[in-house]
Amino acid sequence: MTGATREVRLAQFERMLRMRRFEEMVIRLAQKHEYIGRQHLHIGHEATGSAVAMAMQPGDKIHTTHRNHGYVIATGADPGRAFAEILGRNDGLNGGKGGSWHLCDVSTGMLSTSAMVGGSIALATGAAYGLKLQGAKNISFAHFGDGTLDEGVCYEALNLASLFELPVLFVCENNSKAGQRPSSMLAAARLRDIPQALQIENMIVDGADADAARVMFAQAAERVRSTGKPVFVECTLERWPGSHQVTAAFPTGVTDLALAFEQEKISGKHAEWIKSSDPILRATRAFVESGTATRDELAALDARVTTLMEDARAFAEASPFPEPAAAFSGVFA
Amino acid sequence: MPQMNLAEALIDGLIWSLRKDPKATIIGRGMAGHGPEHHAEDRLKAEFASRMVDPPTSEAAVAQLGVGAAMTGMRPFVHYGTAVFAYEAWNQFVNEAANVHYMSNGQIKAPVTFHLFHGIRGGGGPQHSGSPYAMYANNPGLEIVMPSGPRDAKGLIRAAMASDNPTIVMQHALLLGLTEEVPEEDYMIPLGKAEVKRQGKDVSVIACSRSVVDAMEAATELAKEGIDVEVVDIRSIAPLDVDTIVASVRKTGRMVAADETYEICGVASELIATVSIHAWSALKAAPVRVARPMTPVPFSPPLEKAVTPGVSKIADACRKACGR
Ligand SMILES: Cc1ncc(C[n+]2csc(CCOP(=O)(O)OP(=O)(O)O)c2C)c(N)n1
Ligand SMILES: [Mg+2]
Repeated sequence: MTGATREVRLAQFERMLRMRRFEEMVIRLAQKHEYIGRQHLHIGHEATGSAVAMAMQPGDKIHTTHRNHGYVIATGADPGRAFAEILGRNDGLNGGKGGSWHLCDVSTGMLSTSAMVGGSIALATGAAYGLKLQGAKNISFAHFGDGTLDEGVCYEALNLASLFELPVLFVCENNSKAGQRPSSMLAAARLRDIPQALQIENMIVDGADADAARVMFAQAAERVRSTGKPVFVECTLERWPGSHQVTAAFPTGVTDLALAFEQEKISGKHAEWIKSSDPILRATRAFVESGTATRDELAALDARVTTLMEDARAFAEASPFPEPAAAFSGVFA
Repeated sequence: MPQMNLAEALIDGLIWSLRKDPKATIIGRGMAGHGPEHHAEDRLKAEFASRMVDPPTSEAAVAQLGVGAAMTGMRPFVHYGTAVFAYEAWNQFVNEAANVHYMSNGQIKAPVTFHLFHGIRGGGGPQHSGSPYAMYANNPGLEIVMPSGPRDAKGLIRAAMASDNPTIVMQHALLLGLTEEVPEEDYMIPLGKAEVKRQGKDVSVIACSRSVVDAMEAATELAKEGIDVEVVDIRSIAPLDVDTIVASVRKTGRMVAADETYEICGVASELIATVSIHAWSALKAAPVRVARPMTPVPFSPPLEKAVTPGVSKIADACRKACGR
């Protein structure tokens, strides 16, 4: 194993559980409040998102994409205010003006969710430029999917980051999958050949392996901090079957940690994903098999997180809608 | 005559375009949207899969794929699932496609059709609710059509595909399920011809796209109050059918301009300017504008409603124009 302390690993696992239970609550809310509509859930990406959040230091910045909820929660935004935003309520992180697609929280360094493919990578490059100009020790994180590499702006941003030596960590969540319609169509056989061609240091990690991702992002962030130059990390992910759901549903069921040890009980169309690609179940197994934590400890942690999310949901649902006049405020600073 | 929803009708228009012209070709997927009407696309795929290509998320280059191919004589239909995605192709639309014919002194044509789903759609929020056709209309060289129903969608798409100019078809995302009788056979509706969708004598609502549908509903409501509304669907902002618009306002003496682009420099403003110039003396009251107020479209449902032009705002505007 990695030599990391039990506390660090458990802290990561707690973030992962928060991310997962948050998304499951979003599915329930979407089933109940019809209008919140289409959600791009971060289920299956928790190991990556938690690892990125743990590599961040106070003052660092991050920009994210439509698949943003996990990052919002992992970086420490209040889940109640995040639910309230997704429901368009007054206490939402964006006062109801943004919704799921634009969650942000300046207090955690989460500067924006751009719902435009290609939006986050260039904005985060700009954030790195701003930090560098101001002589800050901080770095910038760009979260994006493989789809961003379809966009021309991606190449321009990578080139700028390399030319201007900008402290930005590019986090590419590669969940593209042949068979279904892939989320990107790239002639490049390996994604990393793209940053490589632009002289950007690059790495690859199993994005569903909590320990590997945590170690990788700690190292990568350290590289960016010490060199002031960009680093590109490709995180390989097996796409969660509900990642493009039109109607809210639980295609792989509600997460049950016990299934980590009762594989024979897993069945159905998506059994393979649950058995080998769910980062939460993988981490659960790793904890118990290495003797780092017991099943009961993990179950107790999960119960606490579940209660937290239940309270957050209650807060959000009790929040009123904003007054219609709010639509017209805040157009200008 | 068969009943078709708008998605089916636009697919029918595309099928006829491909049947009639071997140079017609399709770049994009999801032409019938991703809602309950999306199956309409199956017919197209069944007949013409070999003439369709599903591109990566590369809006800028994809636009040029269309414009460049058009310059060699092809007639590409390029689809953007949400109009705002085409912001990535701003230069390609307004600076390349729009200028090709003029700056080559007529040597080269770019008969490309861009097809975009626009509009405030319920939960689209600030980045997915755009209706950029007023912005496009600020660029000479582009034809811009906004069908308000199935019959128009089919005939206008046919005409757009047959046009020698770059044409942008703006389809309101919320109208795809709208159903009416649509001729089965091939037909075109010429670009630049407005249609009086409802005859009336008290006030003219000059509108396009979804606002036509809203205006028809408002007219039914106002009839009960004794206000007889005429509804004119401009169908295209470029070219603009000034004669039909002016004739209607000359007849009623009152005007409401209703449209979902922004108030400032928007389609409604242009319509009011047009009428002021050409029919000033016929106006019995100041024109009234119903348009998108100058604020981004908020996500929260009550806020979104507050910024959406709609039936009740159009009805109120008609009452105001009529001094009620
Ligand atoms: C400029 C732009 N074009 C198209 C879209 C529509 N769109 C939303 S998500 C998506 C796929 C993105 O794939 P990827 O970046 O790999 O993220 P994933 O959803 O796979 O996590 C697309 C094309 C968009 N939001 N913005
Ligand atoms: Mg992807």
